[in-house]
Amino acid sequence: MILNDFFIFMKQELMLLFIIFLLLLIKVGKDRSNESLLYLINLLLLINVIAGFILPGEGSLFSDMFRTNPLIALEKNMLNIGTLIISMQSYSWLKSHKHLLEFYILMISTLLGMFYMISSGNLLMFYLGLELSSIPLAALVNFDLEKKASSEAAMKFILSSAFSSGLLLFGVSLIYGTTGSLAYAEITSHLSTDPLQIFAFVLFLAGFAFKISAVPFHFWTADVYEGAPVAITSYLSVISKGAVLFVFVSVLYTVFKPLADVWYGMLFVLSISTIIIGNLFAIRQDNFKRFLAFSSIAQVGFILVGISGSSSMGTAAVIYFVLIYIFSNLGAFGVVSIVSSLTGKERISDYKSFYKTNPFLSWILTIALFSLAGVPPAAGFFGKFFLLIAGAEKGNYLLISIAALNMIVSFYYYLRIVKSVFMEPNESPIESLTIPLISKVALYICLLGIVILGLWSVVYDYIFTLSPIF
Amino acid sequence: MGASSLIVLAIAGIVFSAGGMMIAKIFVKGTKNPQKGQAYESGIKSTGTTWSQFNVGYYLFALVFLVFDVELVFLYPWAVVVKSVGITALIEIIIFIFILFMGFLYAHKKGALKWI
Repeated sequence: MILNDFFIFMKQELMLLFIIFLLLLIKVGKDRSNESLLYLINLLLLINVIAGFILPGEGSLFSDMFRTNPLIALEKNMLNIGTLIISMQSYSWLKSHKHLLEFYILMISTLLGMFYMISSGNLLMFYLGLELSSIPLAALVNFDLEKKASSEAAMKFILSSAFSSGLLLFGVSLIYGTTGSLAYAEITSHLSTDPLQIFAFVLFLAGFAFKISAVPFHFWTADVYEGAPVAITSYLSVISKGAVLFVFVSVLYTVFKPLADVWYGMLFVLSISTIIIGNLFAIRQDNFKRFLAFSSIAQVGFILVGISGSSSMGTAAVIYFVLIYIFSNLGAFGVVSIVSSLTGKERISDYKSFYKTNPFLSWILTIALFSLAGVPPAAGFFGKFFLLIAGAEKGNYLLISIAALNMIVSFYYYLRIVKSVFMEPNESPIESLTIPLISKVALYICLLGIVILGLWSVVYDYIFTLSPIF
Repeated sequence: MGASSLIVLAIAGIVFSAGGMMIAKIFVKGTKNPQKGQAYESGIKSTGTTWSQFNVGYYLFALVFLVFDVELVFLYPWAVVVKSVGITALIEIIIFIFILFMGFLYAHKKGALKWI
């Protein structure tokens, strides 16, 4: 009976564990060619995505340490889809990499950590999941073994994430000291606006802000994103950030609900500074990965606006936006990943007259950037629209108008790339690239995601019916 | 109690540690000689630089050793309760050892146990 519950509730985690051990077994056995392995792994990840959608259970295990419900299962499925897309896009980079299986073992381990983090019902479980998801990521950032920049990025990442974990852990210890428990339900009933508890919450929030790279805590982002291999940059900016945001929303809206007035003010400052600084720095970047790093900082600012409103649609708007963000950011990163692994070019100025030689990639890049900027037919517009509505719930129109003005600023730097891709002349443009079929399929999935999510309201309604009301 | 006690604690901490260092600064005679800066090595004069290279094999051996060390730490409490928990405990420890064994096989495959 209990064993049955175990297999239903932990289904997605067990699938990932199974894949990890299968890959370890393959590694221990005789050597196989990278290409056949890549097809096998992508097939396994595809099966994992499909199996995730079957029979989402609802309940908790290990005396409320681990809990699941259809919404949590949906969040995990979104992360699964993102990982599959990233894996397909990095085909041409991984084809010649000599540590292919280690790459996937580490990546799926981090995904497993994020799953435990999302399902946690206890701060201890949450912290374990967070560490499982961040320590292997440092090894992954270092996966361009020949490049020094990659090692430097890994060093910066592990130091800053250790520091942020320290802050978060200090906050957790103070919360434990003042409430007497680590379980979410217990904490909520013992929270008041006691100064020590607010201090603990500030530390806790700082740890989170590090992970989602909100502005005063964003300094590691650009350097790590630039040095890491493109596949890991996209993994960091989409999957890892998305997972932390899911936890962030649910923790703020359920566990720290008694402190809602306190964290409203903090999120107000965080979101405004994040949007403005992310935008201003993105304008001047020439490295594509650095540019996307700052653009992702700005996007997190919009998400924080949506969270700060604490409206009934806050959770749904954030999850919907992250879903759109997965597709649009991975569309842009997919093009960068393919170009970077085939030619080694990563600067924006290299992309001048990219359209003449690679029309397909140019269109994908353009649509993805339109969606990131939030131009109406693309899904990104609706995502930001819902976030701003959710943020307007408190009637703070200053915040909303600053966010809306910054959306216009962001048009400038997104469309600047579109302009150079289509219009600017270049003597030595990137040559016509032959894209591997599997990467092409991934780009089509991103394109479909951007178009369908914008036009088909069923997805948002479904997320809204699942999400809890604040 | 409340916020004020926290601030008092922080200030007291700073004063206590900074004060100790200040007092040491005031009373110590500032003599300097090369012997003072040297590392104490059992009374014998140290020779050569400390920045010498070690073989990475030592670390790999230590890591593999650590895997089984931790396994043993877990096996003791398991051995105490295995009789009362029954067949579930047996299955769980088999899974646990299997996981560690996979790690060991991986280390073996990568040549971590070959000496130089």
